[in-house]
Amino acid sequence: MTLQEFKENCAQIQREYTEKITSAADVASVEELRVAALGRKGALTELLKNLKDFSIEDKKTAGPLGNALKNTLTQAIEEKTAALQTKELNEQLNRVDLDLTLPARPVPCGKRHPLSVAQKRMTDILSKLGFTWAEGPWVEDEKHNFDMLNIPKHHPARDAQDTFFAQTGSPVSMVLRTHTSNVQSRYMEKHQPPLRIMAPGRVFRNDSLDATHSPVFHQIEGLYVDKNVSMADLKRDLSAFMKGLLGDKTEIRFRPSFFPFTEPSAEVDVKCVFCAGKGCPVCKGSGWIEMLGAGVVHPNVLKNCGIDPEKYSGYAFGMGVERLAMMMMNINDIRAFYENDLRLLNQF
Amino acid sequence: MKILYSWLKDFIDLDYTPEELAQKLTSLGIEVASIEKKGADFEGVSVAQITGIENHPNSDHLHLVDLDLGNGRTQRVVCGAPNVAVGQKVPLARVGARLGKTVLGPAKIRGIVSEGMICSSDELGLTNTRARGILVLDEQIPLGTDVRTLFGKADALFDLEITSNRPDLMSHLGVARELSVLLNKPLKNLSPKEYEGEGESLQVDIRDTQACPRYTGRMICGVKNAESSPIIQERLIAMGLNPKNALVDITNYVMFELGQPLHAFDRKEINGDTIVVRRAEKGEKFTLLDGRTLSLDEEALMIGDKEKATALAGIMGGANSGIQENTTDIFIESAYFDAPTVNKTSKKYEISSDSSQRFERGADIGMTELALKRATELFVACCGGTPSKIRDVYPLPYQNPIVKFTPAQINGILGADIAREKLQDIFSRLALRFDAAAEPWTFQAPTHRRDLNHRWDLAEEAARFAGFDCIPAGESRAFVQFNDNPKGVDLLELLSQRLAGLGFCECKNIDFLGEKELKDFGFETKNAVKIKNAMAKGWDYLRPTLLPALLKNTAFNQSRGNTDVALFEATRTFSLIKGFPAETYAVAGIQGGRMSRRSFFQEEKKPDFYFIKGIMQTLLEGFEQVSFIPSEQPPVYMHPKICMNILANGKKIGIFGAVHPLTLKNNGIKENEIWAFEFTLKALEKNFSAQQFKPVRPVTAFPPSLRDLSVMLDKAVPFSLIEQTLQSTPLAVNLHFDLIDVYEGERLPLGKKSVTFTLAFSAPDRTLKDAETDAAFETLLENLKAKTGAELR
Repeated sequence: MTLQEFKENCAQIQREYTEKITSAADVASVEELRVAALGRKGALTELLKNLKDFSIEDKKTAGPLGNALKNTLTQAIEEKTAALQTKELNEQLNRVDLDLTLPARPVPCGKRHPLSVAQKRMTDILSKLGFTWAEGPWVEDEKHNFDMLNIPKHHPARDAQDTFFAQTGSPVSMVLRTHTSNVQSRYMEKHQPPLRIMAPGRVFRNDSLDATHSPVFHQIEGLYVDKNVSMADLKRDLSAFMKGLLGDKTEIRFRPSFFPFTEPSAEVDVKCVFCAGKGCPVCKGSGWIEMLGAGVVHPNVLKNCGIDPEKYSGYAFGMGVERLAMMMMNINDIRAFYENDLRLLNQF
Repeated sequence: MKILYSWLKDFIDLDYTPEELAQKLTSLGIEVASIEKKGADFEGVSVAQITGIENHPNSDHLHLVDLDLGNGRTQRVVCGAPNVAVGQKVPLARVGARLGKTVLGPAKIRGIVSEGMICSSDELGLTNTRARGILVLDEQIPLGTDVRTLFGKADALFDLEITSNRPDLMSHLGVARELSVLLNKPLKNLSPKEYEGEGESLQVDIRDTQACPRYTGRMICGVKNAESSPIIQERLIAMGLNPKNALVDITNYVMFELGQPLHAFDRKEINGDTIVVRRAEKGEKFTLLDGRTLSLDEEALMIGDKEKATALAGIMGGANSGIQENTTDIFIESAYFDAPTVNKTSKKYEISSDSSQRFERGADIGMTELALKRATELFVACCGGTPSKIRDVYPLPYQNPIVKFTPAQINGILGADIAREKLQDIFSRLALRFDAAAEPWTFQAPTHRRDLNHRWDLAEEAARFAGFDCIPAGESRAFVQFNDNPKGVDLLELLSQRLAGLGFCECKNIDFLGEKELKDFGFETKNAVKIKNAMAKGWDYLRPTLLPALLKNTAFNQSRGNTDVALFEATRTFSLIKGFPAETYAVAGIQGGRMSRRSFFQEEKKPDFYFIKGIMQTLLEGFEQVSFIPSEQPPVYMHPKICMNILANGKKIGIFGAVHPLTLKNNGIKENEIWAFEFTLKALEKNFSAQQFKPVRPVTAFPPSLRDLSVMLDKAVPFSLIEQTLQSTPLAVNLHFDLIDVYEGERLPLGKKSVTFTLAFSAPDRTLKDAETDAAFETLLENLKAKTGAELR
């Protein structure tokens, strides 16, 4: 074969295959073309076999020419293959016909109980305010539930109509704690000031279950004892607590009240968050909502716990979790918390 | 405590609306539960008759109404009431009339001036119904009649909630006294008519001066019992009592007025001339006024003569000495009985009276004489008679303690800055004796304020009377101290979060259950905490297990159509250990119904045992001490063959598996397959800390070499043995294995099963060569053959 013929053949192959590759309709045809041109018996492969018979001079021309053609065809085939693959994939994808508006399949996820949600908000805020979580027994002796808290022996709160009494082998009378305040006496008995604790948890009262009463409910207690703790410290911290809970604009007010374990004692109201104090059904038109009870720790309580009331003073507060949750979650029957209807639980 | 505004005004001049007064009381810490308004609080409203109605030219609902006022006078007013009609007699308020606090002026309504208004019942303050429409009066009422005369004098009945430290507020005088301190106004009408007294009263022999430290009394002879005066009757009705006769009514009246319970005896039923105050004898029988007969013990305090008892002191009189219609000579008792004595007896025999309620909370020992004089005045005015001299036995006059304090201490407790003068002012009004000449100041409370014993009490008084708003929000103070949460709390929170993530909804249940449930769940009553005064049958014990309640929740939900339930509860459980109550945190859960419902392109899927096992494994991931083994003796409420024990360090802490179908049936659950778990946390708390950072195991960067292993072995070989063999075979490389198939069936010889694993071999520092993987595979296989009799399939 002459160099001239080689060149012509190259040109012929290039023309022929470039055209065929360009017009190939699918990946398989391109593969057939690749075999036909570049396969072991392919047209170009066969042509290149002639190189060995060429003179060194001619090889210098023919070799690069053949290689260039091989590269050109290889590249063309690869590009065409890729283009066709993409096209086929797109066609395949476009054949999908899914009704995306069908409903979501339910993906199960459990929920925390609304009272846990409410309690967690409260403990989170109090944690930020520096309160340590403390606990106490739910079956408690009268000493820690009543006596040490300055609740006199014949106080009506100690009646069987109010308090559940437990039958145990203990030599002392045991009750189901009537408030979280037993944690006060438990904690102060073991720790000297400064101390700053919160005690969330369950409490028991001998009340029948109705829309507004439950024999079991939840409270959260706060206690701060240090040097020179006053009602003003209480007001500052409760104001921060309520702002954290109900929003930065929340206002509180103190009203005088009575609890055996605090002196002075106060009921703490917050300005109604539903009507901004203008008066609405939630606040019964008063503009204020009673939220919790608080006061300066009674000196007898400190004394009973082994803390010198001349040296230290403190404040304490106690708040109902259900009450807050009912108000903020628009639940008007306390029994809803203890029915555990999934349709309610799933909303949290 | 009910307080009638007009009665209060007997003792102090007040010029507030009932609402304003309620606000004052609230600011003092006396909660006003309700205000019931009575009578008319308006002036200048007279009866007029409608003679004509025209439409208002600028309104589609207002009218111009012509009225006849009588005496030839007429008036035209604008009226928007829907029920207005010609011929009606209506209350007309003209310019200058007063409605509550509002004095009426002329009003221009849509361009027309109205010189008066026809009133609705609400506008007159008679009702609070928000009903529109004018009040239509009886046609018979003459024109021009002052409407006020139709409705009686304005008054208000307050229902006050008196806190237990303030028994002194349980009377009209008491509330007036409190207001007198607040408003700095004097009290009045505190000097009833004095009687010299003719003849001696009965002698009084107090045999227990602790229970009865003061006894005051007198006789009134020659009384004629009658109806009490209209005002007394009216006021008693307002207090909720039915008037009976003057002698009975007046004792009640004085109690509501002054707070001192009185008792009137029929003199002729008292033998001899001595009243004896003594403890009852054990077993002593006594018949009360209401006919009940009590068998008493030595704690009860009795009033009587030398032979018999005539009253249960401070609580109720006896049937034998009550006032009769024809009683002529009475003995009036005005005594002080101490609170614990009255409290114990009234509790024990479940007798509560207005009298016992006052003594129980604490009466005023200083009030007996004044109350007796007031009662005498009223008795004589109503029933005539001649009072005897007063007998007052008061061996040891009561004194409140003297409190020493400084104004700085008061302000220190409050964190406030109340001026010295203001404090002096408040304390001098409150005190029996007060001396602020030098520091410390000294204060002694009057007998009716036994609650003022130390400076904290006085700080509260200062704040109350200065207004609680005098307490500022204090300046910030830092408190830097860090303490971990109790471990149980953090652990409970972690597990609760995981369970919520695993699809379980948290429940909260009441902690009580009954004897039957205890037994059904395998607990002995002697190990459970019993509630002595349980409020309902079936709520007698504190629960030692959370599952019964969760099963009830399941039944409840299914009955409401929530068929697919995944519930958990995480809280304390209770038991008795050697008689002492013990509390342990526990977690329990229930899964029933379907994990996923039948839906488009998808069949429904139900949980099976291995699913609940997976829940347990994920839930307890990271608790190295935990393991599961099949229960040899599952609890009675669980399936006998599908139950595993949860162990912590080899000790059982709980179970999981299938609930026994009978348990389901007994709990009203219609399904027969429900999965459950319950375990206690104490053993897990030990090594747990939410605060600790946990070091991780390194992960290799090199991909594992995978091999499938399928072996056939005897059906009886438990998987745990295969697993243990795979885990314990010593290998030069790391192994992770997943079970992908267990097959039993006709393609295998009888009594055989095949198990198939995907094995993943790896090394921390390199990709394994085939030869290494092959060697490890062979080692495993040989060991399996040896330990379990497995053959390669």
